[in-house]
Amino acid sequence: MILIITASIIGVVLLFASFLLKHTSSLLHLVTVLFAALFGVAIWEALQPTAILTQSFYLDAIRVDRFTNQFNVLITGCLFLYILLMKKHIAAVGKYKAEYFALIAFIMVGIFMLSSFNSLLVMFLGIEIVSIPQYILAGSDKENLKSTEASLKYFLMGAFSTGFLLMGITLLYGATGNFMVSEFNFLQATSINPIALGGVLLLIVAFGFKVSAAPMHLWTPDVYDGTPTPFTAFMATIVKVAAFVGFMRLFQTSFTAISSSWSLVLAVVIALTLFVGNITAVFQQSVKRMLAYSSIAQAGFMLFAIISLNAIGRQGMLVYTVAYSVASICFFAILIKMKDYTYDGFNGLAKKQPFIAALATIYMLSLAGIPLTGGFMAKYYMLKAVLFEGSYMWLAIFALLMAAVSVYYYFKVIIAMYFKEGEAAMIDSFTKEEKLYLTIGALALLVVGIFPSLLTGTI
Amino acid sequence: MLSVLLNSPANTTINYLPIVIQLVVAIGFVAFMMSVTHLLGPKRRTSDKLANFESGIESVGNARQPMAIKYFLVAILFVLFDVEVIFFYPYAVNFKALGKEGFLAVLMFVAFFLVGFIYIRKRGALDWEE
Repeated sequence: MILIITASIIGVVLLFASFLLKHTSSLLHLVTVLFAALFGVAIWEALQPTAILTQSFYLDAIRVDRFTNQFNVLITGCLFLYILLMKKHIAAVGKYKAEYFALIAFIMVGIFMLSSFNSLLVMFLGIEIVSIPQYILAGSDKENLKSTEASLKYFLMGAFSTGFLLMGITLLYGATGNFMVSEFNFLQATSINPIALGGVLLLIVAFGFKVSAAPMHLWTPDVYDGTPTPFTAFMATIVKVAAFVGFMRLFQTSFTAISSSWSLVLAVVIALTLFVGNITAVFQQSVKRMLAYSSIAQAGFMLFAIISLNAIGRQGMLVYTVAYSVASICFFAILIKMKDYTYDGFNGLAKKQPFIAALATIYMLSLAGIPLTGGFMAKYYMLKAVLFEGSYMWLAIFALLMAAVSVYYYFKVIIAMYFKEGEAAMIDSFTKEEKLYLTIGALALLVVGIFPSLLTGTI
Repeated sequence: MLSVLLNSPANTTINYLPIVIQLVVAIGFVAFMMSVTHLLGPKRRTSDKLANFESGIESVGNARQPMAIKYFLVAILFVLFDVEVIFFYPYAVNFKALGKEGFLAVLMFVAFFLVGFIYIRKRGALDWEE
């Protein structure tokens, strides 16, 4: 709860920092301190003796429980790593340096709301607070036509999906007369209310859009490709994971009893997402675009947490948060330095920068889900969750096949780095600090891969 | 028919029958008049008649021209403050019921608004000479 307030204050402070601080370097120091403070507050809140209990705020509209606290710590940790790696690049995107960081802080407010809502209204607010700054960030490179296109496309499609979300909430309210997700009485009843079912279906569509699940994924490649790379790294990782947590929170709290009516729809969505994401990623020439499709493919795996409706799925979500976000953020931090975003641009990187190439290999292995990395454990938990649930054996087998396909396009990067001759031209060299942060990211992935229970704890 | 209407208890479907009849009559009247004028009226098409009516003055140039961004900003600012005022109406109705906590909440809301306003002034959104 204090986290939400802290993030809002940080946003306002950063908004005015542009008037007070004339030098970019002092602004970047302030940004580092503020986001470190946010991380500190998240840890402090999770260490409170009351953190293991469920606390409610604002007429029960917000409920903070154990999972919320644990997730908040992990996501602010990922955010801190992102800020450390990307702050220089974010400041280089355009004229309004401080505002970009302020918008990121405001997005964090929405993310904390998504991880702690108990009322559908707070959920709606959370989704909107997350989305609207993203439309601005997508169009922040004003000189670039592709960035503007991405912004407009994202805005129009996002507004459209908000319509679905609101209609879904309206139907649910009409069926129950209540906004509180923990009190959806009819959802526990045996008789199924058709109005409510319509609402649940619309919510699946709206959330599917936000997490870019097929067939609501069509905006993703264009938007991720056109957005300035530092913001793509943010949108594709932290924001996406937060949307998943909101999705899971709603469906696990409220719609468990009627899961038989919607889980088949979700299963088809998952199968489509895995298929479209992986198969299309194979044909991409640009690594940035490949990462966009890979984020769709990984979304397919994360959706398992929602369909499985058990504690293993929740644990898997936490592992996935770290494994996917850290690997993608770090890899984006390497990609952003490359002159050429195609696979050929990576040719011969291992000769020129052996250390960076080794780190990039770890991130790619983790995204592909090779054992001993966090990505493997994340996928393992998700499959375990869905097998534990029992009724979707075919989906798990299909997911395994698709994971095998994904190895192809992730390894293409490794092959380009190690086995092809080339220049691997870079815009900028890596500073010592950046190398340190990248190493921390790689170590985190290995630690999660070997001791996943550090994250899942007792949830 | 009328007796059925008058004797039925309130809030049943039959109570809404007059509204349906009114709707049908309204739409029917419009459709009827439009089709009658189209069928019976004489048609004389001249270039003067097809031109846009600009208060009797001949229109000059194209209306689709780039508009100053200032106008857009002012329009957006107006919408923001309009929304703020709209929030005050329900608050005024529930002023007593919400008590001190409600007052603080509204103060915070206004404070955030002011912060945004100060920011946009400092950025120079309302400086006209540029």
